[in-house]
Amino acid sequence: MARQYEEVTVRGYDEFMKAVSQRKGKDVFAYFSGSKNEQGVSWCPDCVKAEPIVRGELGYLPPGSVFIYCQVGERPYWKDPNNEFKKTLKLSGVPTLLRYGTPQKLVEEECFKKDLVRMMFTED
Amino acid sequence: MAALCKWRHRLKPAGFFQNAVRRQLSDNYDYDLLVIGGGSGGLACSKEAAQFGKKVAVLDYVESSPKGTKWGLGGTCVNVGCIPKKLMHQAALLGGAVKDAQKYGWRIPSPITHDWLTMAPAVQDYIRSLNWGHRVQLQDKKVKYLNLKGSLMDGHTVKAVSKTGKESVLTAGNIVIATGGRPKYPTHIPGSLEYGISSDDIFWLKESPGKTLVVGASYIALECAGFLTGIGLDASVMVRSIPLRGFDQQIACLVTDYMGSYGTKFHWKCSPSKVEKLETGRLLVSWTDLDSGKEDQDTFDTVLWAVGRAPETRALNLEKVGVKMNRETGKVCVSADEATSVPHIYAIGDIADGRPELTPTAIQAGKLLARRLFGKSSELMDYDCVPTTVFTPLEYGSVGLSEEEAVRRHGEDGIEVFHAFYKPLEFTVAERDASHCYIKMVCLREGARRILGFHFTGPNAGEVTQGFALAIKCGATYTQLMATVGIHPTSAEEIIKLHITKRSGLDPTVTGC
Repeated sequence: MARQYEEVTVRGYDEFMKAVSQRKGKDVFAYFSGSKNEQGVSWCPDCVKAEPIVRGELGYLPPGSVFIYCQVGERPYWKDPNNEFKKTLKLSGVPTLLRYGTPQKLVEEECFKKDLVRMMFTED
Repeated sequence: MAALCKWRHRLKPAGFFQNAVRRQLSDNYDYDLLVIGGGSGGLACSKEAAQFGKKVAVLDYVESSPKGTKWGLGGTCVNVGCIPKKLMHQAALLGGAVKDAQKYGWRIPSPITHDWLTMAPAVQDYIRSLNWGHRVQLQDKKVKYLNLKGSLMDGHTVKAVSKTGKESVLTAGNIVIATGGRPKYPTHIPGSLEYGISSDDIFWLKESPGKTLVVGASYIALECAGFLTGIGLDASVMVRSIPLRGFDQQIACLVTDYMGSYGTKFHWKCSPSKVEKLETGRLLVSWTDLDSGKEDQDTFDTVLWAVGRAPETRALNLEKVGVKMNRETGKVCVSADEATSVPHIYAIGDIADGRPELTPTAIQAGKLLARRLFGKSSELMDYDCVPTTVFTPLEYGSVGLSEEEAVRRHGEDGIEVFHAFYKPLEFTVAERDASHCYIKMVCLREGARRILGFHFTGPNAGEVTQGFALAIKCGATYTQLMATVGIHPTSAEEIIKLHITKRSGLDPTVTGC
């Protein structure tokens, strides 16, 4: 079955902003996670827990929307309160799932709740 | 008021037999509780009920204003009331603070200007985050949220209509009406509907309202005119009779006098007769001076109607179902436990007759109602001594009786009024006029002199008043007040130090330390 949404994978703030700017006018959902190591495991245990739950709901994304999977960086970069994600995008924690350009977001344990994830993907 | 409201009538709800088929014999409803209205009261009631493991749904639907303004979940307070009002009031206060700052040594380039296009989107974004926050909370607490317009079909059945017109029917063991109110338009004034806006629109304007005429004298009118003046706009208020009806009138005049001295123009005892649109796009308002009969006119960019709020009952189909309403106010009659004349139907918040139009009372009433319905509680909402604050440029906090009401109940000889004009310390260096900063405590004259009413005008009036609400709820007396030590240096300590009575005729101006 063809996916109704576009999935984009990026690393770091600059790549994220570039991906967003190339998709102006689209409904962009972004999932921010602590970066994964060579074994594919993130340093952020909550991100590890939330990812399959979020991925499980991707089928509910509105047609034509964009899902950006963004690895924010290593733990020391994330812990710095002046990193670009915290300063400019106002992220407070990882994982964060948000709908770009709207106040809709789910932070940390909220991402564990599949009904909240589904609600964000399906409601206005 | 009680005479107009005969509750507890056991009337047979309309449509009973049509719905008997839908409803099973064992009272198996879709929901244990269905709340119509997702505002302060509705959300609090539904979330509390869900805590008891009950099946709860909230229907929230916003009919656009005549101007086309719409908003999300959360009701009046969040979207077009308390929250945006306080934020814009803060914007205005900051403008004043920046001016004061220069006297305190800050080098600030003059003149300072305000940009609506920076403030309004920031306020609107915050409101949208609250809409989302409420949405997440409902989902989290397992309350079903439906963006549908509800109306009653009978005592346990609600018709719900979507924005596309799709209809559905829901049944519930209990129904709570919490649909609140909306601004009234003076439709008898030509041009009022086509060219005027209301508080539903002012916070959502995409552009600065410019030179504005606010028609009305309620706290909504004064608060709006207040912050518009504070952000540098030309704002006028047109008052038909008295300001802040229902509030202590001596204080109401201090509030409006202060606004006048800070740049808000007042047209007293005037009533608009028509609003026309000019070729330039500006509005020409004609009005009559009610005392002299003289006609006058002026042009404005915006006309804001703040002439009262009407309860949202029209579309609810209440008469058909037998829910009694107060013919004068149009609000739903309720008894002390928020019950309406129809069993299992309740009403809370602005829609309920005789209740304060305030968020905290709606929230508390909603929570207590849920606890009585589904918990083992019998606690009723106590509407006595509810504190309030009017967020005009000079803020006014009060709890308890106005002086007029105290005189009505106890007679002039039965009360003692302590008062003081004080000067907030911050005003000194800033060279601000403090002649309207005033405190009044209305007490019983006999015995320990229990405090009946508290009134305070000045900065941070809300913060100052909150603590005194507790004191008054506990039955605090003037004797106890005298025994309390003040915090220095604050404006609030002047309350503790009150000692001049109105009766003495002495000058109530505070002097020195």
